[in-house]
Amino acid sequence: MTDDTDLEQMFAAARTQRDHLPDVLSARMLADAVQVQAEVLAPEPAARAGLWSQLRAGLGGWSGLSGLATACAAGVWIGLAPPDFLPDPVGLVYQQELEVDLIFGVDETGILTEDG
Amino acid sequence: MIQPSDDALLVLFANGDGQAARELTARLGPRTYAVALRVLGNRAEAEDVAQEAMMRLWRVAPKWEQGRAKVSTWLYRVTLNLCLDIKCRQRSVDLDAVPEPEDGGPSVADRLQDSSRMDALQGALMQLPERQRQAVVLRHIEELSNPEIAGIMDISVEAVESLTARGKRALTAALSGRRAELGYDND
Repeated sequence: MTDDTDLEQMFAAARTQRDHLPDVLSARMLADAVQVQAEVLAPEPAARAGLWSQLRAGLGGWSGLSGLATACAAGVWIGLAPPDFLPDPVGLVYQQELEVDLIFGVDETGILTEDG
Repeated sequence: MIQPSDDALLVLFANGDGQAARELTARLGPRTYAVALRVLGNRAEAEDVAQEAMMRLWRVAPKWEQGRAKVSTWLYRVTLNLCLDIKCRQRSVDLDAVPEPEDGGPSVADRLQDSSRMDALQGALMQLPERQRQAVVLRHIEELSNPEIAGIMDISVEAVESLTARGKRALTAALSGRRAELGYDND
């Protein structure tokens, strides 16, 4: 019967082998370490500029962007409250619509009269 | 001369120190491999597991929080989990898994006897349930304390004691009747 003493002897023998690391395995571990170190220490690639950043750059930066915003605001303001020396755009549109020649020069009133 | 702790070596490694990698491999590589070999019983699988466990150590190094856990405890845990993954995928028993004895040691006859004893022990270990085998290897071959094993295996100290006690009884039973064959009558 194998007793505890025999088992302890077997464990002791196994312990003598626990510090063994095959050279090939050691080399594989170190190669991994070198690879990971290279990845960790490599500089981070510059982040790609977003759409807003690209648009801002295309318009000439913050100064270009502010100029564009000012021009837009001025356009809206002139549209809503034009200066006196400029024609009213709303009046121009309606005036053009009233002057549309519907039936080649025939008077609109005459047509209504003929129909009775 | 005071040796730097494993924690300190990990920090040095993360800062690009190549010597730290060599020192950590020399300190932790053999134990990682030994545990994997005893638990898996297969040399090729044990090598793959040990390499993968060390790879995870390299990768965690830049994020390692000093003092949070012992590096060796963390590594044992990773190693056992990797062993479990392999065991889930396949079950294989390789009784020829024990490393060859180094030259310059005992006589040829003694070496053969040692080798047959190691084969017998490994064979008996492979008959144990997975958790019992892990606990016995960590307790009786790696000589870790029960609380440390409990931390690694994420179980209570009482559970560790139970696993190791049952494991030893099972090993004794498995090896019974082989005293003469293993040369214990002559010792």
